[in-house]
Amino acid sequence: MPSAKKENKKYNSIRLLVQFLAFLVILVNPFLNYYWHFNFVQGWYQSLGVGKLWFVSPLEGLESVLVSKTIYLPLLVGMLIPVLVALFLGRVFCAWICPINFLCELEDRLLRLLRVKRQRDLFLLPKRLLWFSLIGDITLAMILGAPLFVFLSPPGLVGREIMMAVYFHTLAVEGLVVVAVLLLNLFTRRFFCRYFCPLGGLLAFLGLKRKLRVVRAKEACNACGLCQRTCPLGLSPQRGESEGPYCWNCGACVDSCRFGALNYRWVSDPAGQTDILPRGE
Amino acid sequence: MSRRSVSEGGQTRRNFIKFLAAAFLLFRPGAAQARPLLSSPVKVNRLRPPGAVPEELFPAKCIRCGRCAEICPYRSIKILDVRYGVFAGTPLINVEEIPCYLCMKCVEVCPTGTLRPISQEETRMGLAVINRRRCVTWLGLALCRTCYNVCPFKEKAIHLDQLRPVVDERFCTGCGLCTHGCPVNPKAINIEPIYAFRKKRK
Repeated sequence: MPSAKKENKKYNSIRLLVQFLAFLVILVNPFLNYYWHFNFVQGWYQSLGVGKLWFVSPLEGLESVLVSKTIYLPLLVGMLIPVLVALFLGRVFCAWICPINFLCELEDRLLRLLRVKRQRDLFLLPKRLLWFSLIGDITLAMILGAPLFVFLSPPGLVGREIMMAVYFHTLAVEGLVVVAVLLLNLFTRRFFCRYFCPLGGLLAFLGLKRKLRVVRAKEACNACGLCQRTCPLGLSPQRGESEGPYCWNCGACVDSCRFGALNYRWVSDPAGQTDILPRGE
Repeated sequence: MSRRSVSEGGQTRRNFIKFLAAAFLLFRPGAAQARPLLSSPVKVNRLRPPGAVPEELFPAKCIRCGRCAEICPYRSIKILDVRYGVFAGTPLINVEEIPCYLCMKCVEVCPTGTLRPISQEETRMGLAVINRRRCVTWLGLALCRTCYNVCPFKEKAIHLDQLRPVVDERFCTGCGLCTHGCPVNPKAINIEPIYAFRKKRK
């Protein structure tokens, strides 16, 4: 693999750029809206309006529909694109757009810059917890009669806090949730994302049969374990976990692999496609 | 739970429990304030934006995306914070501060139908009620007719009866312009929420 070394940081850099641009949208938007009444782009990742095109976060929409037991067509239409993305590409929102993951990655990079020796992930819980937090969130919302994730969701809170700061020159108390999530990230990378994010749970559920997967080429892999150490979710791509339900397709493992054994693949048939030969090189 | 070695397990677990406790404190809404967490913030002069669904449905349907507040050109719509319990993140208009000018932009951007797309005339945020024992005109102290002057549906929602303002509930949108304009302190014309509660009003 002569060129493998050179392309090493490809996906990591692209991802950081995408995350930065996505963060820029929610960072700049309130200013545009507030000071110049420029309303073309609006909202944040709970509901984003670009002109007449609306995006609604699937979990928030689902909670709204389930709890109020009413159907509103524009809401469903707004959920359509995120749901389709999740169906085909999996949890890419989490890895590539979510402001929480962006802040966590910045935190990771800052630590690396400060040369803080980082232990391995301290607290590990069963990965299945993700499903339970999704079910628990929806159940709790239906019992309470008010959706919870809509005002305590860290991804949404980042946007809300920026908007609060711009509009009302104050920060809401619930922003501490974001601080807590970022603090937990110091101990276990993406602790909240891994186990507790109901939105991540829903997107992972939608992405169970996703087409885009990080696939390992058995012949090229020599089980060095680098990918396992890189994975922010603590998955082990060399054991095929990148093709499993919890992977969010961030591509960090693809970059980490020195042997080109891991790569994105468009898998039309999820089962038994792991044996395809490594393409190119 | 932890898959770490036994020697470090105790410390790890303790830290973890500490974090859980901290997280619980954070997630407990309104711990500092003794504000009722399940009772609506809608009351006199504190109203939902135009087109709002009934208040029982409001916190269920609203996804707290804040777009109504973002688009409001008059900054009338404020976003509640977590001290309001399950109503955190929902929009509210304090008409004494900034009333609703019925530009109807918020109802166009609401992605959930919590604010239904309606016209100005159909808006019923509340109902203006004149306190005749406070209104200087009704008391016969002065000839003020500010509420009449500022009403966007003059002659319909508020008309003058022998120079005294009278509200017509058939046309009043509850926008709060009259309350905002009322020079009397405390206000002699207030907006009573009409969709607010099935049970008792507090």
